[in-house]
Amino acid sequence: QVSELVQFLLVKDQKKIPIKRADMLKNVIREYRDAYSKILNRTGKTLQEVFGMQLVEIDSKRHMYILINNLPRAGGKYLCRDKEKEKMGLLLVILSFIFMKGSSVKDSALWEFLHLLRVYPGRQHEVFGDVRKLVTEEFARQKYLEITPIPLTDPPELKFQWGPRAEKEISKKDVLNAVAKIQGKDPTFWASQYSEAEATT
Amino acid sequence: ENREAMLNSRSNRLTEALEEANALFDGVCRAREAALDAQFLVLASNIGKEKANELHSDMSAFDSTAFAEDLLTFMGINRTEETDDSEDGPGGFLPTDAWKRMGEEALKYFKRAPDVHYMLGSFKSEPPVPKQRIERQKKASRGKAEQAMPAQLKKMEESHQEATEKEVERILRILQTHFENDPNTPISYFDFVIDPNSFARTVENMFHVSFLIRDGLARIKLDEVELPVIEPTKPNGGAEEENRAGARNQVIIRLDQREWQ
Repeated sequence: QVSELVQFLLVKDQKKIPIKRADMLKNVIREYRDAYSKILNRTGKTLQEVFGMQLVEIDSKRHMYILINNLPRAGGKYLCRDKEKEKMGLLLVILSFIFMKGSSVKDSALWEFLHLLRVYPGRQHEVFGDVRKLVTEEFARQKYLEITPIPLTDPPELKFQWGPRAEKEISKKDVLNAVAKIQGKDPTFWASQYSEAEATT
Repeated sequence: ENREAMLNSRSNRLTEALEEANALFDGVCRAREAALDAQFLVLASNIGKEKANELHSDMSAFDSTAFAEDLLTFMGINRTEETDDSEDGPGGFLPTDAWKRMGEEALKYFKRAPDVHYMLGSFKSEPPVPKQRIERQKKASRGKAEQAMPAQLKKMEESHQEATEKEVERILRILQTHFENDPNTPISYFDFVIDPNSFARTVENMFHVSFLIRDGLARIKLDEVELPVIEPTKPNGGAEEENRAGARNQVIIRLDQREWQ
């Protein structure tokens, strides 16, 4: 059961959409339901020891899980398809913007910022295609971003925050360091962001 | 309305509005008016919350325009001096690998689990249908639907052999159907067996055709230009055909990958 579950999780994780416990039970564990937590524990161990990945629960109410990479970061180049690289680039930019702006931004503010980078929600982007879809659907479904409507706004506005996957896969400290590197400044230049980043390590 | 004005941290509009509402409430004597007042309170508290949020982020002022400029620089923008009216926008030309560059930096920070894919691909329950020619492809699928089996087909126990028999039968059908349309033109043997996309498929086709020849269901002859052509034998061939089949010829066809290309 454990090896089946390991394979199931590895394949399911390809799209980076969180995996539901219900799916695990239905497709792999089936009649062994009672041993679920034991199987899950052993699976987590195998994933860690064999693949260096960590199985993390990001929603304890709805029982959703993701896989993250637990290996220490290698210095060399990352084997990754270009499409994925580009998306991660955009994602880092968005997450940095949100963090530096106090952990939550309005959609209008985000798109105004992305305009400056030649990324427009209404136009096909030569690298990203339908950017609005990528940001509001794909990144949201993968739980990199948490997008909630702001109540009582007309026309309805959205609020963008870091999603649970982002919280697990990247640290605020790293983001601040990235921003500092790009702007050629010291991270302590932004005092409150710096203390926030230190606090959440 | 006036939301932006109220949000402005320097304005006291929100406080003024609240005070006005307070004063008005004294005059309220109908339920509907009280409901309106309640609605107003909800709106006001939302705006208040937003104002409080903005207070927090203004503490260490973050200049997003400067950040954007620095990002563009990081991504390798070529800034031009003259004002150009190209689509790339004011102030420069962004190279095509701009976002790739950004991504490589980003990957250093994300603890992202790499995608796992099986090296040999996923399981397919049926052997894929070989693509010989597009028109023949359609005829092949039509042929398969027919349940009438030629008398010569023997039933085999093992599924492996069954598959070969199926293939042979299918190829025979293709040959026959082609012949229905063009009764007197044998097909060039090479045209028939060669799959332009797959060397392995070609070899397989030759293998299957050899079965047809062995069983006397088809025959190969040389045409005017000494190239082999293949045609199906007529089912009611009679004694004459059997005699022909008796004279077994062994033909070795050698085809390697380079020649195939």
